[in-house]
Amino acid sequence: MDNRTAIIKQPDNISSFNDVYKLQKEYQEALILDNSNPDFIWIGEHQLCYTLGRGSNYDNLLFSLNDAKYDVFKIDRGGEVTCHMPGQLVTYLVLDLKNFNKDLNWYLRKIEDIIIKILGAFNIDCHSRKGFTGVWIGNKKIASIGIGCKRWITINGFSINIDCELENFNKIVPCGIENCLMANMIDYNKNLNIQEVKRIVKKTIEEEFNFDFISK
Amino acid sequence: MSHEIFMPALSSTMTEGKIVEWLKNPGDKVERGESVLVVESDKADMDVESFQDGYLAAVLMPAGSTAPVGETIGLIVENEDEIASVQEQNKGKQPEVSSSDQLELVSNKTEEKPEVQSEIVEKKEKEVVLMSEKAAPSFSSDQINAATSNVSSRVIASPRAKKLASQMGVDLAKVHGSGPHGRIQADDILKANGQPVSIPWIGEGGSPASVPGANLGVESKPETSGNSFGNPGETVQFNTLQKAVNKNMESSLDVPCFRVGYSINTDKLENFYKKVKQNGVTMTALLVKAVAKTLKKHPQVNSSFSENGISYPENINIAVAVAMEDGGLITPVLKEPCNTDLFKLSREWKDLVKRSRSKQLEPNEYSTGTFTLSNLGMFGVDRFDAILPPGTGAILAIASSKPTVVANSDGSISVKKIMQVNLTADHRVIYGADGASFLKDLASLIEDEPETLVS
Repeated sequence: MDNRTAIIKQPDNISSFNDVYKLQKEYQEALILDNSNPDFIWIGEHQLCYTLGRGSNYDNLLFSLNDAKYDVFKIDRGGEVTCHMPGQLVTYLVLDLKNFNKDLNWYLRKIEDIIIKILGAFNIDCHSRKGFTGVWIGNKKIASIGIGCKRWITINGFSINIDCELENFNKIVPCGIENCLMANMIDYNKNLNIQEVKRIVKKTIEEEFNFDFISK
Repeated sequence: MSHEIFMPALSSTMTEGKIVEWLKNPGDKVERGESVLVVESDKADMDVESFQDGYLAAVLMPAGSTAPVGETIGLIVENEDEIASVQEQNKGKQPEVSSSDQLELVSNKTEEKPEVQSEIVEKKEKEVVLMSEKAAPSFSSDQINAATSNVSSRVIASPRAKKLASQMGVDLAKVHGSGPHGRIQADDILKANGQPVSIPWIGEGGSPASVPGANLGVESKPETSGNSFGNPGETVQFNTLQKAVNKNMESSLDVPCFRVGYSINTDKLENFYKKVKQNGVTMTALLVKAVAKTLKKHPQVNSSFSENGISYPENINIAVAVAMEDGGLITPVLKEPCNTDLFKLSREWKDLVKRSRSKQLEPNEYSTGTFTLSNLGMFGVDRFDAILPPGTGAILAIASSKPTVVANSDGSISVKKIMQVNLTADHRVIYGADGASFLKDLASLIEDEPETLVS
């Protein structure tokens, strides 16, 4: 298969969730209008915020929506509530699946494989769990996945906890799984840092999807 | 013309998907390529778009429900003026229609079912019942299609039928399909699983047995399709309501009753019902109205025995027997149906049934009937007779309306919908000729001028 061109954006500063979400939507719309437009990858970190999928159960949010302390966004993705914050690496992929495989199950499993490879590069042994999309170390969740799709063009992606304040997950029922324990990569490999993980995420996606990246 | 929206396959392994959200409401304009709803499978969701400009006419599966891949979940029409007719055609399939209103079975048990079932599953099962109700009347063609289906060895089944079959463990190869070219439909699966689905168009009124919808809910014990208040080997005490019914039934043994029956052609009534159903008219209200109007011409049949002589009540109040799922039955009364228009009467009946269910009827709402109706039509029975309640002179047993081959007076043969009714009357006050002429007039009202039942 020929390589496809993808635009990659990986800011070093902490980004506003809403701005990046709008950016993803723009790239998605562009691909819907003309499939010769490039795919788009974004790798970065957000300020503390909580996001819900369109089918999410608000009961999994353990604080009031009126609580002005927290930003809450309802977005175009599957799955239940999750949490983003500095120290967690978020990767968004706006891909035209028509160029790969028009199969969302294939795509979810592909992303799990990618995350397992990324963690493997840091000698962290992790696995997927049937029926619990995401990546796990033992019974602890290290990475979460949430995908939206319109005319086979994806939006959103996955987040990996690198070195973040896991207490923030206590204010929700992460992914709707009661007593779900979360983990940080740093607890399994003291020598890594977020810039190094970012580099591996980019490299792995490039290889797995045969991308030629154009940086922006 | 209308275009179907199907549950899409989000992956090759997906068999069913969850409807997360309808982004459009019925009646909304949609453009080609515009997202109409969101479907979720696992952690991925997908916008489902309209393939043409038009209007979303009907939502057949509500948000939160799960549908098999390929199932029709909504309908889009090209012109705004088609919305109403498509909505009307699909009324029975609309999830908003509660089956309890349609079937009008009084049940207190439904709220306290022990098995863990999501509301969504319940809704779906109710919908299955509603759809089977639509399919049921084509009884004779069912059999013809079943015969032709044997010719082909390939199994053709609707997505819903396939899903039900796998849920219930029914072997599709052994099921006779009643759909076009022997296609297996959802109600064929229910039938094959021994569950009653024959709910003809008089799918309401008092039925002293369990409701099919309730049976579907009790998947854990599919071998019992009727009511049972105790376990094998047990003796269960009568509840208060059952005791009261027993007392009333026993008192009928002192009454010299006779029975007289009539076959009524319901083709016109059914057509009329189809027209007024959308305005909330129930079949029970129609039958009550017809009976009340005929009683007005036949006051003798509204009379009752008293020690002092024949008692003629001041009013015509029609009681309708309604079974309680936890035992016994109750007879909510529609007062003075002749003075109430059909639409109000239907609303009153729905209210009575609702309050019967929560046991909130006042005594004067169930004890003031001057004539009683008992309808078992929803079970497909061809005839039965009823026991006379005390204090009244007559009760009418209404059976199912079935397509029947009829010999006409000119020697020709045709198929007509025939409903058998059977009057039980106290011979001390009502004689055979009274009952017979009452039935004759009731039949001609139903057969010839059902539209006069409006007011």
